[in-house]
Amino acid sequence: MWSEKYRPKNLLDMIGNEEAKEAIVNWLGKWMKGSKPILLVGPPGIGKTTLATICAKQFGYDLIGLNASDIRNKQRIQEILGPILGNASVLGKPMIFVDEVDGIHGRSDYGGVETLIDILKEPTIPIVLAANGDKSDKMKSIKKATKPIQMRPIPPRLLQFYLESILKKEGVTISLGTIVKLVIQSRGDIRSILNSAQAHVMGFEPQIDKSFVTLDVEETVNSFFKAKSADEARAILFSLRIDPREKIDAFYSSVITSPLEKEDMQKMLEIISEADMLYGKIMKTQEWRLLRYLDSILVGLYKEGTAVRYSQFNLAWPIINRLRWDGKAIKSLVTILSKKMHVSRSDFVTFYFPYVLFCMKNKTLDLELDESGNEIMQKEIDMLK
Amino acid sequence: MLQPMTETSMWVEKYRPMKLSSIINQKEIIGSLKSLLKNTAEMPHLMFSGSAGVGKTTTALCLAREILGDHWKDHTLELNASDERGINMVRDRVKKFARFSGLDTKIPFKLIILDEADEMTSDAQTALRRIIEDTARYCRFILIANNISKIIAPLQSRCAVFKFTRISEEDIISHLEEICKKEKIKFDQKGLETIHDYSEGDMRHSINILQATASLGMVNESNVKAASGLTKTNDVGEILSLAIAGKLSDARNKMIELIKVYGMSESDFLKYLNEYAYKIKTTHISEILESIAKYDYRLIIGANPEIQLSALLAELGKIGK
Repeated sequence: MWSEKYRPKNLLDMIGNEEAKEAIVNWLGKWMKGSKPILLVGPPGIGKTTLATICAKQFGYDLIGLNASDIRNKQRIQEILGPILGNASVLGKPMIFVDEVDGIHGRSDYGGVETLIDILKEPTIPIVLAANGDKSDKMKSIKKATKPIQMRPIPPRLLQFYLESILKKEGVTISLGTIVKLVIQSRGDIRSILNSAQAHVMGFEPQIDKSFVTLDVEETVNSFFKAKSADEARAILFSLRIDPREKIDAFYSSVITSPLEKEDMQKMLEIISEADMLYGKIMKTQEWRLLRYLDSILVGLYKEGTAVRYSQFNLAWPIINRLRWDGKAIKSLVTILSKKMHVSRSDFVTFYFPYVLFCMKNKTLDLELDESGNEIMQKEIDMLK
Repeated sequence: MLQPMTETSMWVEKYRPMKLSSIINQKEIIGSLKSLLKNTAEMPHLMFSGSAGVGKTTTALCLAREILGDHWKDHTLELNASDERGINMVRDRVKKFARFSGLDTKIPFKLIILDEADEMTSDAQTALRRIIEDTARYCRFILIANNISKIIAPLQSRCAVFKFTRISEEDIISHLEEICKKEKIKFDQKGLETIHDYSEGDMRHSINILQATASLGMVNESNVKAASGLTKTNDVGEILSLAIAGKLSDARNKMIELIKVYGMSESDFLKYLNEYAYKIKTTHISEILESIAKYDYRLIIGANPEIQLSALLAELGKIGK
């Protein structure tokens, strides 16, 4: 595989991201106990892993690689990192690299993220983290404990130049038009452009085109349902490497909002229901290895010529708005009133709330609510038939 | 002229019995609770089971008042399992509450009333068992459940169990009469009977219907009919009919409103859906129940309840054909 064969051996071989390279070299060169860990942020395939590997090698560190699945719970982290952190000298010069930190899924109560942050706060050895994005909530606390370094997609000119040099080494040619196409498709992802170019040269394009990696959720879901065959659909599904929860929900919102025949809708929802069950089991048991079966369930959604198209939201806007605003107001009101009546919120809305509204409408009841409470009550009363 | 005065409270609260002796229709239970009270220090944990609106919570509150005195509220923690997010939440709240113990020597112990304990998963109940043991020195638990068969045996064995029976029609009607007299509301017998029929022997529901009816004036059959049937369980019935008719989108929108805007719990939703399956005219009752059961299971296993319930509605649409 070209992307492995031409993986840079030293910093000089790496193209692009000069500032990031400089920053990490400076950091590692001056590293001492307590130095803030580094967070490399950038899209896939631009060399985050490569950069960490090369730096470790050049400074004589032993790189210990972890990925998201290793930091899913506290126990696992401690198993792996406990001996390293506590007893560094025995093992030589270790350095930790955690890939895909934004891919830590799972709930906070398993303590994975917390434990990681504890370690980040008092590092006894150099730690480098890598993430595709730093905008999500869970990344906020990680960002705080680290020194983020932004890495950018490789600019098209540089990518073209690089690709041409590789083609020359391989002794093959590709038309300029195709090169330009590959450059555009890759969106600055070196790994992807090497894979596509190799695929093109060897004539097995573009079925399992790795450039799907860079497609966003919308395009992936759409191309899944537009695929020519179940195999193609499977490959597309496999390339969608996002949080499994987001993956299931993306298919759910797309299917539920598409104009489908009753039977198809029912079948598809049943499949998504199965996927959600698998995810629920994984969450409860923390058996993340079961995750590999998720795609084989979801691929059952593929049907030739189906009308499913991507949708981010699974409800129409008026309902979303009602949910957001009225739902919030009702919830805080119901929380107070249900306590007063010594019943659960669910019982209160079912057996009390409608009668409260009815009496209020007939002006025989005034629960002396605050302004916002009265406002939402009035709105609900107006909606009564 | 008939318009009653504007009320500032719900009658269910206003007329909730304050003393054990004024609780209706649970004579045996009240008798044995009173004998337990003779030596409060030795009181075991209690478990009250029985259907809705028979006086379980009221009895617990009365006990709290009688054991802990005027400041009972300071020494009583009321939790509702269906409102708390998971056992950790319960544990945290119990811990915090139990921590400040022994400050007031006048009270024998603190009281924790855990309502709808049968809504907890068996894992959560197992954890609760630990919590009960850890806090036993300072706290007594009163666990309340609709369905005692959903309470794990080790929990049951740690409590003195009291099974509340349904309140008879006579008792409900005479209680409603009493409220009418105090509120100076005109009523006739047929009106009160209709209320009882609607509420299916649930006292709190009866009183809510009574108050709603009184807001129209006299409590007679026609006013009761106009005021009853407001409960959100009817919306569940509508959702079932829409789903069976294949109107998935309408059914789902309504369901989401019920659960996400109003806050009906998913398990309550399925409970009422199950009840309505028996009420509608259909030749497919067994298929409907089977689907509900299937997705009730999936709801427990799965992670996103909305997906499971939407899939259920879609499957009900297939049956309707």
